[in-house]
Amino acid sequence: MTKSSGANRDAAEPRPRRGEAQEGASNLRNPLARVLGQGSAKEGVHHWWVQRLTSVALVPLTVWFVVSLLSLPSLDHATVVAWMGQLWTAVFLILLVLTAAWHSQLGVRVVVEDYVHGSGAKALTLALVTFFHVVVAVAGVLAILKVALGGAV
Amino acid sequence: MAQFRLPANSRIRKGTIHRAPAGARKVRTFRIYRFDPTSGENPRVDTFELDLAGCGPMVLDALIQIKGTLDSSLTFRRSCREGICGSCAMNIDGINRLACTTAMEDLGGGDVRIYPLPHMPVIKDLVPDLTNFYAQYASVKPWLVAETPPPPDRERLQSKPEQEKIDRPAACILCACCSTACPSYWWNSDRFLGPAALLAAYRWIIDSRDEATGERLDALEDPFRLYRCHTIMNCTDVCPKDLNPAKAIAEIKRMLVERQS
Repeated sequence: MTKSSGANRDAAEPRPRRGEAQEGASNLRNPLARVLGQGSAKEGVHHWWVQRLTSVALVPLTVWFVVSLLSLPSLDHATVVAWMGQLWTAVFLILLVLTAAWHSQLGVRVVVEDYVHGSGAKALTLALVTFFHVVVAVAGVLAILKVALGGAV
Repeated sequence: MAQFRLPANSRIRKGTIHRAPAGARKVRTFRIYRFDPTSGENPRVDTFELDLAGCGPMVLDALIQIKGTLDSSLTFRRSCREGICGSCAMNIDGINRLACTTAMEDLGGGDVRIYPLPHMPVIKDLVPDLTNFYAQYASVKPWLVAETPPPPDRERLQSKPEQEKIDRPAACILCACCSTACPSYWWNSDRFLGPAALLAAYRWIIDSRDEATGERLDALEDPFRLYRCHTIMNCTDVCPKDLNPAKAIAEIKRMLVERQS
């Protein structure tokens, strides 16, 4: 069989469905059994809900961040360090970094699941992506704390 | 990993051109995807210059005219010619729709480009293999599930508002326009159920007579089966019956969150 290449709006070039061409006649499993597969993972609600929650939380946090920065008298090093030294500034900055990293991790995970096929490559990519987000979050929080608590000049 | 080109046997080559007969007055050009699995050749796009004199107004009329007068080997599905059977779903001028309810007049003045539904295995010409699509429909158990036996003397009753909830979702004709318009379905149709099957699932989830709502939601609670829907909305955009699979999917997601708290 070949693949149709319907010129749907914003359609990428059609691709063969994974496994279809290769397996061909060697896959005699009936279609319903293939669809049912390994059953439902009973998961996904939490991911979906937290992605929405973090996106909602990011709205005020981002607005606060931009407005606060713009309303500083100047953006020189001393002014910004003094601003970060305030308690609530540090609190909101840490929340911003954590929420953004969390939200990004959830989103990138979906992108990987969409486009990376093959269980080995997928598992590896997901692990790397998660590690990356954890590193970014920890580094961000530590940097804020260091400045806020007066460790950095 | 990512594959950026069509497999070698799917690349489209130039096809034959069927010229309009001299003296034809109302000519419209059709560029139609052709694939014959027995030929061993790659798919091609044939050009048909059709004299519309004496031809009906719909794209399906033109296809039948082409098959009857220009090339009898042109293969496509059709049955009811009134938008209720869903057989003649195909990609016409870049949009999935039913050939029988698409008027040529509404397509603008250019060539009419006709392809099979996107990203499905092709059996021949405009006929896609919908085996997986139908299996996905079957997998959501599209029938009433109830422990309580029906009353002995009458059918299971539904109030008018209860019926109205399922009235639209139940009008789906399974033409596959929606699912094959969904990019997420293109990339993951082996695990994502797609808008058509999810709309069917929703139709039974909200049926007041059904007693398997929980099991139905359980079966959908999966990162791929349901949550590959990224609210792209192509499904609702193309549905030839003006249904709203995207909203049905959103409702299912809402119910899954609601039952947790």
